[in-house]
Amino acid sequence: MTAGVAAPAPQAPSGAPVQPPANPASRRSMSNKAISNLLLTVFGVLFLLPMVWLVLASLDANATWSVEIPHLTGANFAAALSGSDLQSLINSIILSGVSTAIATVCGALAAYALSRRRIPWKGPLLLIVLFLTGVPLAILIIPIFELFSDLGWLSILPCALFLAVTTLPFEIYLIKNFIDAVPQDLEEAARMERAGTMQILLKVIGPLAMPGIAAAAIFGFVTAWGSFLIPLVLITSPNQQPGSIAIFGFIGAAHVQYGNIAAFSLIYAVPIFLLYAISSRLFRGGFVLSGAVRG
Amino acid sequence: MSSQANSVAMAGAAGPVPAAAGTGPRPGVPTPPAGKRADRERFQWSSLSLLAPSLVLLAVLFVIPVIYAFYLGFTNLELVGPNAVTWHFTGTQNLQRLWSDPTFFLSLRLTLVFIIGSIVGVVVIGLALAMLLQTAVAPLRILVGGIVVIAWMMPAITAGMTWYASTTASGTFGTLLGMPNSDFLHHEPLLIVTLANVWSQTGFAMLVLGAALRNIPREVLEAADMEDASRWQRFRLITLPLLRPTIVTTVLLITLISLANFALIYVMTQGGPGNATNILPLYSYQQAFEFNNLAYGALVGNVMVLICAIFGVIYVRASRVRT
Repeated sequence: MTAGVAAPAPQAPSGAPVQPPANPASRRSMSNKAISNLLLTVFGVLFLLPMVWLVLASLDANATWSVEIPHLTGANFAAALSGSDLQSLINSIILSGVSTAIATVCGALAAYALSRRRIPWKGPLLLIVLFLTGVPLAILIIPIFELFSDLGWLSILPCALFLAVTTLPFEIYLIKNFIDAVPQDLEEAARMERAGTMQILLKVIGPLAMPGIAAAAIFGFVTAWGSFLIPLVLITSPNQQPGSIAIFGFIGAAHVQYGNIAAFSLIYAVPIFLLYAISSRLFRGGFVLSGAVRG
Repeated sequence: MSSQANSVAMAGAAGPVPAAAGTGPRPGVPTPPAGKRADRERFQWSSLSLLAPSLVLLAVLFVIPVIYAFYLGFTNLELVGPNAVTWHFTGTQNLQRLWSDPTFFLSLRLTLVFIIGSIVGVVVIGLALAMLLQTAVAPLRILVGGIVVIAWMMPAITAGMTWYASTTASGTFGTLLGMPNSDFLHHEPLLIVTLANVWSQTGFAMLVLGAALRNIPREVLEAADMEDASRWQRFRLITLPLLRPTIVTTVLLITLISLANFALIYVMTQGGPGNATNILPLYSYQQAFEFNNLAYGALVGNVMVLICAIFGVIYVRASRVRT
């Protein structure tokens, strides 16, 4: 506290002597600025380069692996949105949607209990959940494959269930952090009015922790959408495969259709971009709860 | 504050009430103030129903399988054939095989090179970008920041596709370097795959380190300026130490993500050519599902968990040593 108050005091005089004789210094900082802008441009170009092919080839009627001026066409996108390609996108939506719904509902309930209730061995429990977020999934795939193939479950819905479980530990953590920030008083007020646990969850905690729950859901959806190894192993039927597997199939095809690959890859990335835009808006709005308990 | 005081008062008032029969204090667990309490401190059975879905799912499909995978590594389970049905514990047989498997040791080496290369690339470039973005002019900042974040958001499969197309024969990079017919992906597979991984992870490091940079108090840097500290001194003696915890966390996450980045490499090279990019997750998959040795694949997976644990311990120690 005292340090915080003391700090601005010497700052005011310190600014003064630095500024006036700054003529050579400011020229130096000008050239520094130019150099850093230049460096940034170089980085930007390097990061952009690999994407150039993706965009150009997706619009090119006779695309190859090389970057060319495209013979403009929308046929690639039309092809990527029809037939088995469209089916694989729908599969992706089902897979990610079901997985997200399971993980977010289960995660929110558990997060509420872990945040508010007295639970024996809560500390170790949270530690285990934290530990699970770091376990490499490649090790899980073999026992789960054994289990699911014994049960005859090598299809899309069990796969969605398993994807949900893989994102669950992190979702619990994320939602718990948000519920921790919701003031207790609001909940106590609701309890005074004889609201049940479910009512409190749906009408008090739910709306107030919504940015956290939405962030967790977006995390779950993005993870499931990008998953590759898990559906590759756990879904046997080709017409249940999600888009990520479909893209891979394109490369191995006898007659490689480059434009199609590029268009489909772009389409496949769009939901992720949209969700990212939504989530960054969610957080820019801030997390205003202080008003709710005033007075 | 007031609710806290309230609950204490209530607990005090409730104290003399005899404890509910049957719910004796658990030995070892610090008991809450005796008696029933009206506030949240009491265990409610409904808590169990809130926790149950997650706990059951995590136990059945996560914790038990991890333990089971550990056991599977020491059996002779196979994907097809007689050993797919009747398999049994084989002791250290798989371990001996692992020990004399040159491909495994190659894979281990490739994994370490891939991870360390990715960490260095991601942190150095991410930090450089975060610092450059601070001083850059607005339009450039938004443009370049946007490009790097888009690269990070791309699903691994799309990132793999773009890099495959850019580095294969007649791809973008070869054309730009005047060698349109050279297949970089084929000649320098590990380097290209690592670069692709760095490309797709840097955005994350840039955002996290950028946020940490903005949290460095201005006064500290201005004080350093007063003392005529050079840019390098300012960076090495102030910025870097203050960023240390963030960097450690970033490195830990990048390690875990890189080790799990199966899709990127599988799309680009499938572990090839030869075994040149056959890092452990791919080798585990290859053994289990292509060579049908489920048990041996599981053992390779166990090694991965061990590696994660070792890295984890190193990072925990690194973050504890404070300057």
